[in-house]
Amino acid sequence: MVKAVINGIQVEVPEQTTILNAAKKVQIKIPTLCKHPDSYLHASGACGICLVRVKGSKKMLRACCTPIEEGMDIITHDPEIVAIRRTVIELFLSNHPNECLSCGRNNNCELQTLVADFGIREEYFEKIVRDIPKDDSTGNIVLDPRKCINCGRCVDVCQNVQDVWALTFLHRGFNTRMAPAGDISLSDSPCVRCGQCAAHCPTGAIVEQDDTVLAWRALRDPEQYCVVQIAPAVRVALGEAFGFPFGANVTKKIYAALRRMGFKAVFDTNFSADVTIMEEASEFVERFVHKKGPLPLITSCCPSWVDFMEKFHSDMIPHFSSAKSPHEMMGALIKTYYAQKNNLDPAKLKVVSVMPCTAKKFEISRSADMSVSGYQDVDVVLTTRELARMIKQAGIDFVNLPDEECDHILGDYSGAGTIFGATGGVMEAALRTAYSFVTGEKLAKVEFENVRGLEGVKETSVDIKGTEVKIAVAHGLVNVEFVLNQIRRARKEGKPLPYHFVEVMACPGGCVGGGGQPYGVTDELRLARAGGLYSDDEAKTVRCSHENPYVRQLYKEFLGKPLGEKAHHLLHTKYQPLPVYRR
Amino acid sequence: MAKLTREDLAKIKQDATAAEKNWIKVGYSSCGIAAGAQEIFDVLCEEARKHNADIEIRKCGCVGMCSAEPIVEVCVRGMPRVHYGKVDRETAVKIIEDHVCGRLLVNDHVMDGRI
Amino acid sequence: MSRTVFIKDTGTAGKDRTRDFYGFFLGVIREKGLENEVIPVRVADIGLYNQGVAVRVVPDNFVYTRVEESDVSLIVDSIKTGEPYSAKQVKPVSKQLRIVLRNCGVVDPESLEDYIAHDGFAALAKVLESYTPEKVIQEMKASGLRGRGGAGFPTGMKWEFTRKPRSDQKYIVCNGDEGDPGAYMDRGVLEGDPYSVIEGMIIGGYAIGASKGLFYIRAEYPVAIERIEKAIRRCHETGLLGNNILGSSFSFDLEIRLGAGAFVCGEETALIASIEGKRGYPSPRPPFPSVKGLWGRPTCINNVETLANVPVILHKGADWFSKIGTETSKGTKVFAVTGKVKNSGLVEVPMGTTVEDIVYGICGGAMRGKQVKAIQTGGPSGGVIPKEYFGTKVDYESLQKMGSIMGSGGMIVMDEDDCMVDIAKFYLGFCVDESCGKCAPCRIGGTQMLKLLTKVTDGQGTQKDLARLEQISHAMQKASLCGLGQTAPNPVLSTLHYYRAEYDAHVNEKKCPACKCAKLIRFVIVQNKCVKCGMCFKACPVNAISGSRESGYLIDQTKCIRCGQCFEVCKPKAISRS
Repeated sequence: MVKAVINGIQVEVPEQTTILNAAKKVQIKIPTLCKHPDSYLHASGACGICLVRVKGSKKMLRACCTPIEEGMDIITHDPEIVAIRRTVIELFLSNHPNECLSCGRNNNCELQTLVADFGIREEYFEKIVRDIPKDDSTGNIVLDPRKCINCGRCVDVCQNVQDVWALTFLHRGFNTRMAPAGDISLSDSPCVRCGQCAAHCPTGAIVEQDDTVLAWRALRDPEQYCVVQIAPAVRVALGEAFGFPFGANVTKKIYAALRRMGFKAVFDTNFSADVTIMEEASEFVERFVHKKGPLPLITSCCPSWVDFMEKFHSDMIPHFSSAKSPHEMMGALIKTYYAQKNNLDPAKLKVVSVMPCTAKKFEISRSADMSVSGYQDVDVVLTTRELARMIKQAGIDFVNLPDEECDHILGDYSGAGTIFGATGGVMEAALRTAYSFVTGEKLAKVEFENVRGLEGVKETSVDIKGTEVKIAVAHGLVNVEFVLNQIRRARKEGKPLPYHFVEVMACPGGCVGGGGQPYGVTDELRLARAGGLYSDDEAKTVRCSHENPYVRQLYKEFLGKPLGEKAHHLLHTKYQPLPVYRR
Repeated sequence: MAKLTREDLAKIKQDATAAEKNWIKVGYSSCGIAAGAQEIFDVLCEEARKHNADIEIRKCGCVGMCSAEPIVEVCVRGMPRVHYGKVDRETAVKIIEDHVCGRLLVNDHVMDGRI
Repeated sequence: MSRTVFIKDTGTAGKDRTRDFYGFFLGVIREKGLENEVIPVRVADIGLYNQGVAVRVVPDNFVYTRVEESDVSLIVDSIKTGEPYSAKQVKPVSKQLRIVLRNCGVVDPESLEDYIAHDGFAALAKVLESYTPEKVIQEMKASGLRGRGGAGFPTGMKWEFTRKPRSDQKYIVCNGDEGDPGAYMDRGVLEGDPYSVIEGMIIGGYAIGASKGLFYIRAEYPVAIERIEKAIRRCHETGLLGNNILGSSFSFDLEIRLGAGAFVCGEETALIASIEGKRGYPSPRPPFPSVKGLWGRPTCINNVETLANVPVILHKGADWFSKIGTETSKGTKVFAVTGKVKNSGLVEVPMGTTVEDIVYGICGGAMRGKQVKAIQTGGPSGGVIPKEYFGTKVDYESLQKMGSIMGSGGMIVMDEDDCMVDIAKFYLGFCVDESCGKCAPCRIGGTQMLKLLTKVTDGQGTQKDLARLEQISHAMQKASLCGLGQTAPNPVLSTLHYYRAEYDAHVNEKKCPACKCAKLIRFVIVQNKCVKCGMCFKACPVNAISGSRESGYLIDQTKCIRCGQCFEVCKPKAISRS
């Protein structure tokens, strides 16, 4: 531990704690633009606002990246420091377009907040904004380099957290800008659309493609029959936009809000998560018990992970679960099963998915398998942030909404379905069902605590009636390589498999930390949101997917058996190697 | 070549200092090369061969008087050691004919007292 | 034994009398029948300036200045007697002291044997035989050598810091990414004496416990790269690099990495990023490279000139070295003196030599009879020193006191035709171009400052703009991430400090006192002085001058780009500049 003084206040923190974080402990907020509180991101020192000084010294230090040292006497605010911060903010402002009102980050922009906090009322320096066109080539992530303040968060997260290396800095000096390497369009780059760049961007330089207009258009079209589904992680994050505490579960208010917005039926992706488990657990049993197909089996619910694998690790294709992601399964079921059952024309059915994810926007047109109903199975994907905006646009007093239930039968879910939103959740849900499928018995304790938590790679093994199942759970794509290399090495050296079952989620923390979630994600927030999901699970009487009576009904009425012909046709997909760069 | 030992270093130094030779050094760093040292070097070699002069012509680095490149340093026993600056073809010929063979310094190009 | 008499008119107001005096000497010598004993020679330079006709007799090394015709006979007589002619005698002073450049222009840079013959690798042999690494560091600390890259951090301490941490691998890096405008000291050393830098690195590697060294040389130095490559190869062949160097247990290897021409890569953390193959971005310190540098290992980065000092210090001893220079700045400093100076080139002087001695004594003052106005040291990170302060000694502290810095050793001489606002704009423009773009104060602040300066030189500036300049300067100095941004405003602040009147003239009167800023001057042909020679007509690059030898000439102000070509070529001074 290190003892020091900040603004006359004693502070004691572990070694290597930055001045910025130490100050936080004693309720001192040092302003910064480039340092995101998320611990996955490195301090780049790019903005030059978090300046502090050691008492009596002329030199100024960057609080974001300077570890506090024993006996340091730090001053965080004095007239000179404040004046310099102000000048730097004025410089930023001179290099930033005045488009706040129509910006995707209006009222939610870190630069805007700082300018307001510093009371800057005039543009003291001449405006110098370069005219660089937007890049909306991906259709889900939009780059607007003019609004970029070069903090480097997106590049850091893209390269060092997600290991994708789509984004980099080009040119130098005043012409420095964030862009896909080689100045190609983002859609031609290795980008896997995880949206972590957008989730961490302090300004409107990287935002999700806004599809709220598409959703409204469908809702207002009397010819269309609009239905909606919400993903597991949305329910524990949306509340943040309306002042609910971190991790608050607002599922039933969301159902109510969606109905009021005009959706004819409100479904829950948690239900199709249960269906996913039926398929994936069966697949695992096929491979593990009946030795049909290679092990380990690797989960495939995360579209960014699928894209990443197809681009960078296509040798793993045979290991991939062919099960589609839950919301795609839901889309296919709505336009087939639900349409038939309710006598609806699937051509007029519009399926909207509310997801914590930007990659889902891309997934809906990933391949022909995503239109297995004869129409595109999911029509519009909205992120959690977009849904929050739509609720506000609809004039709904979300906080005071009464609780409502979802529609049947594609809505009621088990506890296993809801934990899909946290890293390790898919694995835990699959293990619950796989255990029963293998042993024919009910699990005494359904919790698998070893796969929970935020460690980058979680390795453990599970005993299924005397047989050891070795598993690994990775989140944050940079952690994938380690797991895959273990598999490759074992295969090459002819050693026993290191794992039988592997779960990967692209975003740190899983979907609760997804690229489409409300801003300001930190580990604290990831844990709070995941905690919300685990509480939801605990509160359920049905904790295993195969025990969900509506899932059973679905198989009985419509799908037949897991991995059966119909299930295979509607709920499974194929993968192919993709070039890293598209030209 | 075999690995050098401490003794080898001493011997190389001794041999070099023992041999007394007449020599010319041509400044052959970027500044010299840019000013035409290559040509001067060639001319000096050719003239020396023509006159069968007892002189060794070598290259060396920049002596610091970059604005006076190409620079040629001449050491002939019994004569002052001098640097010639701004050496052109004509001066190079004179350096061999007059200085090396005729033992007379060449006018107007000596850079004296700068170093 | 014959005497040689060097003769040179070192510059007085009138015409060059070198030839006349050569004739006088010839005449007197012939008269006295001393043709075989006294040989006169006209020289191009005699190392003295503005002291009339100067004469040096060798080998006696008697120097006479302000020699008149009447002195010639007496000088020749004195040669005969062997006693100096005291009336005009001056003491020849050698102002330069060559330690770093000891071998430059002396050894064949491509010959290992030649280097060894000039005491090369003697220091290494001594170190490996009888010094512990701690003793080497001790010796370096005792010598007082400070880093020659600019900041002046004591080299011995840097080595000690890198020696301390435990690590499976450590690196020593030679920073040869010299990029200041007008500075080429390192190029001179790398090209002229590559082995001394290599020897310095091997010794450094031994001291800090590194088995691997890297040369980081900018790709624009092809000759330097080729010579270092050759030298490394030769060292490998002869066992001076590789395993068990000179029979000791020490092993060391060297490699070259090329810099792609970014000035900021001279900054240690950016240099490390560049070697690692990443974008040349500086990163915040701590961690310092001595703890966590190249590939996360402790790394010591030394400048070329610093390393070239190392073998001499260890060969001749710290005691010897620490007697040279001033109390806090030991040894010598190499300067690349360029600009409007008579003799540009590399100059090595003991620390503490005055600017005056360098500019006038060694380099001969301004060109073409103009007046020196100021010098700039430290390149774009430094500041100006006006002529009035040329008594300033060159050492780290004195230069800093003047608002400049030692920097890596660029010294640019400016004359009366140079506008100080324009100079500040030039240096700032360089930093704006070379800014890596990472941190906002440097990226945006620099660009804003350049815009403001351009406003001033265009005659559009206001006093408020000058206040803005100072405000941004202050913020950049404090808030920039690396040395480039922190020091980029220095030339502006320094010229504002010493030449505020010039800024005010631009702002208040819309005038450029040095007649340099194109937007503020105009050229007009004074018809009654014009001889209609047509030289201006031919010289004009944009055909702004019209007319004929019969009718005379006129300048079209709308076409004129104010380049000053016509002004330069006009013999009768019939073109006015205002």
